[in-house]
Amino acid sequence: MATWQIAVILVKIFLIVGLFQGAVAYMILLERKIAAWAQDRIGPNRCGPLGLLQPLADGAKMLLKEDVIPGYVNKPLYILAPAIAIVMATIGFAVVPFGPAGLDAPTVNGNPIHFQIAPNVDIGILYVFAIGSLAVYAVILGGYASNNKYSFLGGLRNSAQIISYEIPLGLSVLGMVMLARSLELNDVMSWQDRNGLGPIPAWGVFVQPLAFLIFLVSAFAETNRLPFDLAEAEQELVGGFHTEYSAMKFGMFFLGEYLHVITVSFLTVILFFGGWDAPFLGVEDTSWIAAVLKVGVIFFKVTLMVIFIMWIRWTLPRFRYDQLMNLAWKALIPLALLNLVVTMVLIQLFRGVG
Amino acid sequence: MPTPPTTRPEWTIPIDPALQAELEKHVLVTSWDELLGVVDTIYNWGRRSALWPLGFGLACCGIEMICTASSRFDIARFGAEVFRGSPRQADVMIVSGTVTKTMMPMIARLYDQMPEPKYVISMGACASGGGPFKEGYNVVSGIDKFLPVDVYVPGCPPTPQALLNGLIALQRKIDGERLDIPALGRKGNTPWYDPEVDRDIPVPVFGPDLIDVRTLELTAERAAAGLLDAREAALPRPALIPAPRPEAPGPAPDAAAEPSPAPAAEQRAMSKIELIRARSRGEAVPGASAPTSAGKPAARPSKKLKVAPARPSLVWLGDEGLAELASRLDAELGSGTATIVRAALLVPAEKLLDVAFFLRDRNPIRYDYLASLQSVHYEDCIEVNYHLDSTARPGSLIELRVRTAEAEGAGEVPSVISVWPGADFQEREVFDMMGVRFAGHPNLTRILMWEGFAYHPLRKDYLEPYYEAPAKVFPSRIDDGQGQHRRAEELNPFGSNVKIPRSFSGWDRLDPAADVKGAGRMPEGTGVDVQELDTDQFVLSIGPQHPSTHGVFRMNLRVDGETVVGLKPVMGYMHRNHEKIGERNTFLMNFPFTDRLDYFTSMLNNFGYALAVEQLMGDDAKVPERAEYIRVIMAELNRIASHMWSIGFLLNDLGAFFTPALYAIEERELILDLFEWAAGSRMMCNYFRFGGVAFDLPPGWLDRCRAIVSDRLDRKIDELDRLLSENEIFKDRSRGVGLLSREQAIAYSAAGPVLRASNVPYDIRRAAPYSIYDRFDFEVVTGTGCDVYDRYYVRLLEMRESVRILKQALRDLPEGPILPGKKSYQIKVPAGEAYSRVENAKGELGFYVVADGGPTAYRYHVRSPSFINLTALETMCLGHTVADVVGILGSLDIVLGEVDR
Repeated sequence: MATWQIAVILVKIFLIVGLFQGAVAYMILLERKIAAWAQDRIGPNRCGPLGLLQPLADGAKMLLKEDVIPGYVNKPLYILAPAIAIVMATIGFAVVPFGPAGLDAPTVNGNPIHFQIAPNVDIGILYVFAIGSLAVYAVILGGYASNNKYSFLGGLRNSAQIISYEIPLGLSVLGMVMLARSLELNDVMSWQDRNGLGPIPAWGVFVQPLAFLIFLVSAFAETNRLPFDLAEAEQELVGGFHTEYSAMKFGMFFLGEYLHVITVSFLTVILFFGGWDAPFLGVEDTSWIAAVLKVGVIFFKVTLMVIFIMWIRWTLPRFRYDQLMNLAWKALIPLALLNLVVTMVLIQLFRGVG
Repeated sequence: MPTPPTTRPEWTIPIDPALQAELEKHVLVTSWDELLGVVDTIYNWGRRSALWPLGFGLACCGIEMICTASSRFDIARFGAEVFRGSPRQADVMIVSGTVTKTMMPMIARLYDQMPEPKYVISMGACASGGGPFKEGYNVVSGIDKFLPVDVYVPGCPPTPQALLNGLIALQRKIDGERLDIPALGRKGNTPWYDPEVDRDIPVPVFGPDLIDVRTLELTAERAAAGLLDAREAALPRPALIPAPRPEAPGPAPDAAAEPSPAPAAEQRAMSKIELIRARSRGEAVPGASAPTSAGKPAARPSKKLKVAPARPSLVWLGDEGLAELASRLDAELGSGTATIVRAALLVPAEKLLDVAFFLRDRNPIRYDYLASLQSVHYEDCIEVNYHLDSTARPGSLIELRVRTAEAEGAGEVPSVISVWPGADFQEREVFDMMGVRFAGHPNLTRILMWEGFAYHPLRKDYLEPYYEAPAKVFPSRIDDGQGQHRRAEELNPFGSNVKIPRSFSGWDRLDPAADVKGAGRMPEGTGVDVQELDTDQFVLSIGPQHPSTHGVFRMNLRVDGETVVGLKPVMGYMHRNHEKIGERNTFLMNFPFTDRLDYFTSMLNNFGYALAVEQLMGDDAKVPERAEYIRVIMAELNRIASHMWSIGFLLNDLGAFFTPALYAIEERELILDLFEWAAGSRMMCNYFRFGGVAFDLPPGWLDRCRAIVSDRLDRKIDELDRLLSENEIFKDRSRGVGLLSREQAIAYSAAGPVLRASNVPYDIRRAAPYSIYDRFDFEVVTGTGCDVYDRYYVRLLEMRESVRILKQALRDLPEGPILPGKKSYQIKVPAGEAYSRVENAKGELGFYVVADGGPTAYRYHVRSPSFINLTALETMCLGHTVADVVGILGSLDIVLGEVDR
């Protein structure tokens, strides 16, 4: 690998990590604003114009707070947990294409510039899921190490929840994977772009509607967002797994959660909303202008998805633990399996035709 | 943005003054100090703009604190809406409400758990100095006795605007902070960075009273010296009256009612207020019995006092029915079983259980509902009395009296839990407050105070630490020579609200880490077996500081995984001595205190208290028509406001973050505006008077009220119905959860929507109509599901019925006076006892008043629906999950001010 390629990758890493960390800070502001709009309020507006400096104030305060490590915690694990949360949430972005990558990538002097940190990883989806599952360790370890009953219950709930929802989540994307015949995320995107009936694109949401619903529900559960935020469950468990965390350690859990929301939004958009696909943009268009437009499109869709996830949070009540489990094992998994079988049969039937 | 004082930069090169001026004008930083000033500014700005409050409310002020986060006030604008449940993540502790001794150790612990830099806002009169409850034996006179307070917010309760102002004041304070940098020799005011400084607050200990460990030695020394006994020996004590006796055939009470003219003439020489003052000082009062010397019981009014007609409540069985019942009891259970004493049945203690079983199971009118249980300390006995009603024949209320030994700790009465399980908490309360033991009670422990508290505070011979006189106004507040204010602390030898018996010796055994309140209330894992797997159970203590316990309520749960296998409620964290203080207040003075019982329904509380005293006053307090209508209008508006809150926060408990709650309380704000307009205060209205209301409706009020009732309330109720009633998650979470069968609900003395959701059509407005409720056309809403959902739905439908009543009342409201006579500040209440019942938003609210003809109530007891509804909590929760417990508690709609009083 040439030096300049490494340099490009490093630039991409810094750009993505920096961008998303900053985005997370503003996502928290966005969440507070959305909460305010949902509740007929104004929301933060005293820091800077329209409250735009609020994240800076929050950040400054978090960093300057006393970092309490209670005497009764398991110290190494207690410190490790928030680190895992943020690291796992960040490295998931390695394979997420935030623009055209792979064959559609624009070129500089004949060398493609992929809008993806690690392009051409042919197990892209598996990697994202694997990393996503690792993130559960943050919650479990945090809950366990805190030596607090609320945290413990939070950790307990979360481990069961994540393990259960991994299955429908994984099953629900298989349909799209089979259609695109690739585990690589940009292949899934270009498949959606290339196919379609006339003006209607073959977005996942149209060709795999059931899978989309299952994925969406499981994604909420995976990210610990309402109505599935049982690990945190402020009304029941005070703060759940992060009850004993203060200052920036608590902030890191927060950052991790929001990064997770971004990852999930990216996945949803890529798998089910055609990624950068828009009516006027095609795979074959590899010009730089098209590339920039594609990045714009995908970020726009992701933003909408993020707003949707936040909007849900301020609207619905929470499930109970056993209902959550029932939903996963008795409804989502059978449905996902059904969807998988039907998709398989249909693909076999239409193989000759299409 | 204040910049720290700057010193002129030290120039080493001579410089042109014009240039220097120019430089200073354009260059911001010209010295180290100014540079650090910029750092300070950024540092302060970050913290001032992200003040996350600790999410806990103690009392009434907590409600206004929540309102501060609501749409109208929106504390989020300041970036301070992130209420954290965990102290580890909070920056500012808003001490909102009365700080009780039972709660104080928890508050100190929470404060210690908060990370530096941390701030304290003392919200309201109680938190700042004890407020109206200062004389209470369980009240800490101000949080600043323990914690360093940054900002005091005055008010009782402060309005949300006042709290916002407090927050801004705190921000200004933070703006003025300078970093402490020893390396640069800079002295700031940020002591939390100094490793030498220990800012932790030692947690006070429960002993015979709350003991501040910082003054432990001094307290022990003074207790041993017996200074308090010496002080108390010099104080006038409240006089005891004898218990009522069976009526002997003799002069009718009406004959004694005529006032003798001579003393009346003498009394005219002294103004009424002077009379009270004189009496409270124990001085000779013209017309009263002989002057008392210090230490002797103070004078009670002359024997020729007016006596109210004997009846237990306004709607009751009636004299004939009672006589018949008494003879039936005598015939069935042997003669001497029941004696009629002032319209109540006096039953010997040993026959109580027989009588109770008979009344419940064999009597033609089945007395299956124990409405209220309380006790009175008389000169010759302690009387426990039981108000019973029948759900099949509502309105046939009777009262039972049982008498037992007067001496402290000597009394014993059989427990009636086996007949009416709803007696559980009430008997524990009598035990706690009066020291009467209940034989056969399965868990007779203190309920409001803690085990080890040295006294039984509602006994007449218990004087609180700040005791001065049997009745207000206290002499220290009016003695001219002393100035207007002599602080109560100066009078107490310990210098604080503490009373420790001289004989106490267990100083070494005090343990700050011990859970004195919760110990003995640890649930056993009985009844529910959930798993075949061999699992360990553990005890989870929810509360007293927890986001969804609706105040400082606590539950000890024994859980197996997530399943609750045992639950014991622990209460008393907000016991602020309402009843003891109520015996010191003159009748009129007590109105504002009733506001603070269930602080959502002050109008309804006023209503109940007014009815109790009016029952004693009889025709002296005949309420004019207009006032009756105004009362009903206010009461129904208040019921709607309370139900709105309850529905909104039930959804919050089920996990819907605040949004439904904030929508629900939008209309509540409009109703509170109406209250503020008519009464002068949003929450603590203090609007009722004996015989009427305090003020007539201001011009324009009715139009506004009509507009709100006809335009907004219906639409809001429809909106809630549309958004919530069919929500799948809400239905899943609430259907079949927290079941309380019809029989259980009656047995546990549940009341209000909880009872009616279990399909018992028992509403005091219909069962024992008071005021003018018999004129209105409305339904008693019931549900058949007996679960959380139906409790929600019953409340929703009740709001519709309230709107119906409001429309009728607003249509028919006549012109006329609002009081029977002119306003008076001193009322004469004839001797007697009365029990009034009103349908509060939470259920049957009862006020039991014993008057002895003096200016204050001799005994004053509140039958609080929130408290008694909690009796059924354990039954409802077993077998459900932790998440359900929170929802079930939300569906009971408790208010801690009323639970703990």
